[in-house]
Amino acid sequence: MTGDTLGRLFTGGPAPGHIAVASLLGTQSIPLAELVVRAERVAQRLLAQGVRPGDRIGILAANSLEWVLLDLAALRLKAETAGLEPGKFEASRALMDRYAITLLFTDRPADAPGIVPMAEVAAWAAPDGAAEPLPVLPPPPDWAAGDVTTVKFTSGSTGEPKGLGATAGSIDSSLLAVQEIFEHGPGDDLFVFLPLSLLQQRYWVYSALLNGHDVTVSTYEAAFAALRRARPTVVMGVPAFFETAKRQIEARLRRAGGDRTLAEEAQAVFGDRIRYLWTGSAPAAPSMLGFFADAGLPIYEGYGLNETCIVTKNHPKAHRDGSVGQVLRGKHVLIDADGVVSVRSDHPVNDHYIYAKPGDSERIFGPDGTVRTGDLGYLDDDGFLFIRGRADDVIVLDNGKKVVVRPIEELMKADPAIAECVLFCPGQTDLVAVVSPAAEAADLGAVAARLAATNAAVAADERISRVVVADPPFSIGNGLLTSQYKPKRQQILAAYHDAVHDPEEGIHAR
Amino acid sequence: MPADVETAAREQFSAVLTRDVAPASLDLDADMAGSYALTSLNKVLFLTELCEATGVDLAHFTEEDLAEMRTLRDVTEALGRHAAPASAPTSNHGA
Repeated sequence: MTGDTLGRLFTGGPAPGHIAVASLLGTQSIPLAELVVRAERVAQRLLAQGVRPGDRIGILAANSLEWVLLDLAALRLKAETAGLEPGKFEASRALMDRYAITLLFTDRPADAPGIVPMAEVAAWAAPDGAAEPLPVLPPPPDWAAGDVTTVKFTSGSTGEPKGLGATAGSIDSSLLAVQEIFEHGPGDDLFVFLPLSLLQQRYWVYSALLNGHDVTVSTYEAAFAALRRARPTVVMGVPAFFETAKRQIEARLRRAGGDRTLAEEAQAVFGDRIRYLWTGSAPAAPSMLGFFADAGLPIYEGYGLNETCIVTKNHPKAHRDGSVGQVLRGKHVLIDADGVVSVRSDHPVNDHYIYAKPGDSERIFGPDGTVRTGDLGYLDDDGFLFIRGRADDVIVLDNGKKVVVRPIEELMKADPAIAECVLFCPGQTDLVAVVSPAAEAADLGAVAARLAATNAAVAADERISRVVVADPPFSIGNGLLTSQYKPKRQQILAAYHDAVHDPEEGIHAR
Repeated sequence: MPADVETAAREQFSAVLTRDVAPASLDLDADMAGSYALTSLNKVLFLTELCEATGVDLAHFTEEDLAEMRTLRDVTEALGRHAAPASAPTSNHGA
């Protein structure tokens, strides 16, 4: 089934590329052929430790070469991995018991039976590290489409993270579909810095082995420093990363005082070999996407959830502004009468969660593995998907008109004077915005001008009647932003309840 | 700590914040995440840029060192131990 991808990682002959691993201390690079040799040594050690096909090893560590080696070694043995993000989990025997982990590898301080320091994996990978003869590896495994290779953990806002076993068929399908549209190959270097506990980040290592390109894996902390050294052709990042890079480039331009161009400063941050930038996992602001396009760095937004893997993707041969791209081969986007997006896959990631509360799986997965995303969207005539917001972001007015608030909020947030905007509908008749200003001293004139511009750009039912300006601005400290810096709607409404409901309050639309 | 490290730290920190805070009004002892909403990515960027601006090699620090820098004073003291006392480069165009 997966003979073109996972099944070929260890049988396809030596790949020509390199893997570079970057930390604050520097970068080490080895040929991919050597990576495979070392992964097989680690697989022998796992075998010697009693790890068998179907067993699960846990990896709770920052990105490193050893992380990659353990992942490949597990694939070589047909063992499962559980990718555990540091900071979200603590290395302990209780963690191992909870998730049925045979061995837990970690770079955190921990001491319990079955917990192995990552430093030991480095020794395992060395050519003459074994005191005694190691077991002979069985032939590389065959993966059936429904076999689970790894457990992903979904970061719910409350409670214990749910588990989701990712099937070999879904990985195979995604790797082939992405390769079809991006054609990664020799000369490419894909830059990865998000945690390898996120399965999709490991795709680019598999892709390197399959398609013969380079890959650079950085720790999160070394990301910006390593980018400058690595000179990648592709950078994989979430929108927040590219927003941060945008501000960096803008600050550099200001300091240069007109002596440098936008393209030159963008190259100073990303290097001079960028073919494209990849983003997804969260909505990207049009202003950010436009900024990188203007800087000469094409950026392609896509769409997918943990439960669906990559569903749509803009790419060099098919890109449409405002959309998240066309549907990938093997994925099917279904939109119901209310505009809610569901995704059916030829090879689903899975059809249920594990380590979840009763009912969790049924809320998301249909019987055939179709995933109800909870996002609102539509497909245009050419098959490009546009995401308009979350189904629970819809306000129903008393005239029955449904208003999707996110696009209107985005229009307000496009102003540099506005950091956040949240819409409410206190009387079911008109929209009231609570705006968090970008500066402690709010620029009320700019907010009023943006209110007028937004109202001029939207339909009559979507116009904002008043803007309440938050004082002080939303912050994590005052409980109005989440730890991910997203506005907390209910808390904001509670904090500004009186002003939102008082028709005299705020900046009024003209 | 060299005064130029603190000056550069204030300027670079102010530059990465999503809201306007003047460099001179930054509180050196405030928690950078809690008080100034510094995201983890902005912290990485801030420290990378500051090391470049002050001529301090980022490789002096480990990932754990960065995690333990919670206030601007933590940052300036850590970099101050490695910064040259004078004539530190201030250009940001050499990367």
